[in-house]
Amino acid sequence: MLADYSQHYLPNGIRLLFIPTKKFKTFSIGFFLHQELNQDVAALNALLPAVLEQGSRLYPDKLTLQRKLENLYGADLAADILKSGERHLQAYIFESAHDKYLGENGKLLQQGMSVLGSVLGDPLLVEGGFREDYVNQERIQLIKDIKALLNDKAAYAYERCMELMCADERFGTYKLGRIEDYDRIDAKGLYRYYREIFSSNPLDIYVIGDLHEQQVLQAAGEAFKFPRNAEPKTLPVTEIERPVEEVRHYEEEMSVNQAKMVLGFRTYTGYRDKQYCALLVYSGILGVFPHSKLFMKVREEAGLAYYVHSRLERHKGLMIISAGINSGDRQKAREIIERQLDDMAAGRISDAELANTKSGLVNRLRSQQDSPNQLISFLLDGSVGGKTYTVGELIDGIEAVGREEIKAVAEKIKLDTEYLLRPREGVI
Amino acid sequence: MEENYKLIENRELQETLYHYRFYPGLDLYVLPRPGYQKKYAVFSTRFGSIDNRFRVEPDQEVVELPDGVAHFLEHKLFEDERGNVFDRFAALGASPNAFTSFTQTSYLFSCTANFEQSLNHLLDFVQEPYFTKKTVQKEQGIIGQEIKMYEDHPHWRVFFNLLAGLYREHPVRNDIAGTIESIAQITPDLLYCCYNYFYHPSNMAIFIVGDLDPGQVSRQVEDNLDGRNYKSLGQIVRLFPREPAEIMQERTVQELVVSEPILFLGFKDIVVENLQGRDLMRREILMELILDILFGSSEQLYNELYRDNLIDENFGAEYSAEINYGYAMIGGETRDPDQLYQRIMEAVTKIKTCGVSAEQFERHRRKVIGGYIRRFNSLEFIANNFLAYHFRNTALFDLPAILQDIRREEALELIEENLDPSLHAVSLIIPSKED
Repeated sequence: MLADYSQHYLPNGIRLLFIPTKKFKTFSIGFFLHQELNQDVAALNALLPAVLEQGSRLYPDKLTLQRKLENLYGADLAADILKSGERHLQAYIFESAHDKYLGENGKLLQQGMSVLGSVLGDPLLVEGGFREDYVNQERIQLIKDIKALLNDKAAYAYERCMELMCADERFGTYKLGRIEDYDRIDAKGLYRYYREIFSSNPLDIYVIGDLHEQQVLQAAGEAFKFPRNAEPKTLPVTEIERPVEEVRHYEEEMSVNQAKMVLGFRTYTGYRDKQYCALLVYSGILGVFPHSKLFMKVREEAGLAYYVHSRLERHKGLMIISAGINSGDRQKAREIIERQLDDMAAGRISDAELANTKSGLVNRLRSQQDSPNQLISFLLDGSVGGKTYTVGELIDGIEAVGREEIKAVAEKIKLDTEYLLRPREGVI
Repeated sequence: MEENYKLIENRELQETLYHYRFYPGLDLYVLPRPGYQKKYAVFSTRFGSIDNRFRVEPDQEVVELPDGVAHFLEHKLFEDERGNVFDRFAALGASPNAFTSFTQTSYLFSCTANFEQSLNHLLDFVQEPYFTKKTVQKEQGIIGQEIKMYEDHPHWRVFFNLLAGLYREHPVRNDIAGTIESIAQITPDLLYCCYNYFYHPSNMAIFIVGDLDPGQVSRQVEDNLDGRNYKSLGQIVRLFPREPAEIMQERTVQELVVSEPILFLGFKDIVVENLQGRDLMRREILMELILDILFGSSEQLYNELYRDNLIDENFGAEYSAEINYGYAMIGGETRDPDQLYQRIMEAVTKIKTCGVSAEQFERHRRKVIGGYIRRFNSLEFIANNFLAYHFRNTALFDLPAILQDIRREEALELIEENLDPSLHAVSLIIPSKED
């Protein structure tokens, strides 16, 4: 089902997956460096892509680099930091319009690869470290970004719930780390860290587009020459077996109009688990789609919320229910949600709910193949989760789920933490 | 059945689009996309939040609407006598959605199986309204929560506060969803009245894209329309108040829970209301280019502001041109809104004397064409934008040709004419004191 891909190793040992396809207007190169999610190195991980993106030896400042990209028909180079289970991933994605729409005869791949190689493998150095001013500037920006989480109340409530729920687990680490850790990082230390993880941590490159395999491998081999250890470091797996002793409740007040309720559950089912597909179906029936129980009952029948849904953190085995409500309706909304969970556990699921959820999940999986970024994300999940499914395997797995499997999943699911962001008393 | 269509070719994108027109005036566009799993269909009406005063020829009676009706109608169309429309799509594994903008309302679905049935559902539910007192009342609660959610959203607030500062009369100054008070005035009768005019096929269009046979799709749409006994409808005359050139308010400040201030600066374009079709699109492309030359990440100003920690990566500028209004908007989060404001205004003044170099112009032109091609990966982008351009009598596929045609001299003239300091307003969100 998934477009065919081939796996290769560059001369320095980097794994490269090539997905040849003619259907896109673009070609993409995704470069992902894996590190364990850990409070001690989180700020370093977040700062590194930001600093590398400021310039390299060949393109020594952002202006020069951006102009180079503009001349490559506005190609996009995005450096980002992702959290996936207890993995911390540096993501560098280059995307360019394909030559065939620009009359450029195939030179864009080599040029794109070379820009990416320069930014990642040949950074701008001053006296054995990164440029101090770049590091300072990005430190300030990241501290600002951490504080700016507050600006999106739904995202803020979600992150707060995760932070509180997993306070003594690696997963409780915010993807940008802690503000206080940034002060301890200097330009030389960051460079040493860069050398260490670029040579020893797992690293994947994904290339997608209407390209020739030989040209891809040649361009990648030339672009990524930095030294690598023979065997990449083994990173710890995500821990999902944390028992719930008692449900924890947290509330915060803020000058807002709408209350945000976030419920964090442990499912004890991870990405590589046999029950993974049953969990997808469980969460789908409960709250992923407009036909799901939460949307139908809390929104369509009771009119209490504009948004209400459940989401999975598939590698950590968490399920998170979120809703935006009037704080006066909290109890009512809570009761309706509780009833839906009871119905799930008791197997009160209609044939239509079961069938429609399966079709909805299958539709999503198939649709992912029409987006280069989603294709990359799918392969990356395999790399992070330690199990590579094909789309066909997941579809078969979803189709095979019955009420018994859903019940088995439901029995394991435990509410761990309830978080509420509510309007300050007397306001509004 | 006789096949009656026009082919629209785009050489740059290597795409061929099929255009059909059916009685009583519905436009259908089908774009085949071989190799894609997904099929995407969008059914849109030219009825947005700004269409709040109108009459329908030959009638002289003017209908006036409270704010938020187009958006409210969008929500309500998802319910009919048979129940919830979502369920019918769900049974097919299709994913439906809808959105309302200033100028249009769109209903859509995407699917990877059961396309024919899903398309019938889309055509049916959009053409079969069902509004009752009870369902209208329930929706007032749901949309009330949507409005409250946006009230807490600083980037949404800074945007609408700026529009309210730029415009004195034009309804673009009002929130798309209306207010809790305005939607309380909505009744089933009012919804039916709007529906009967704006959801007439002559005011609508459909765009479908995916690995499809255009002939088959067009027959299906035509058949669906056939049994519905549409009569032709008189011209809808949209009545907009005369918008004075002057802005409403120079500076709007709102306190919200934010980590640092957010500054948006807007320039009102008072020439755009006289433009149509390709001229309108030409102006849009030129303005996008000028704004990118002024504020883009490959230019001096952006890099200086970034180095001085006055902006972050989300700082940006954009231009919007509709048939009877237009504006440029610049801004982002900043620690020092006064200083950022000053630097932006200096840059606008400076470009009027220093101009734009040929190298800059070509480089940014390249960037626009590459970005345009890249966006054509997304079926949603193509369909949604095609119809947005269609309703302003422009064509998304014309962009490469116009882009090749524009000249640097035009950009220089436009800078003189637009971005007039006497027509600018500022919107500011500041952190609330108690938090």
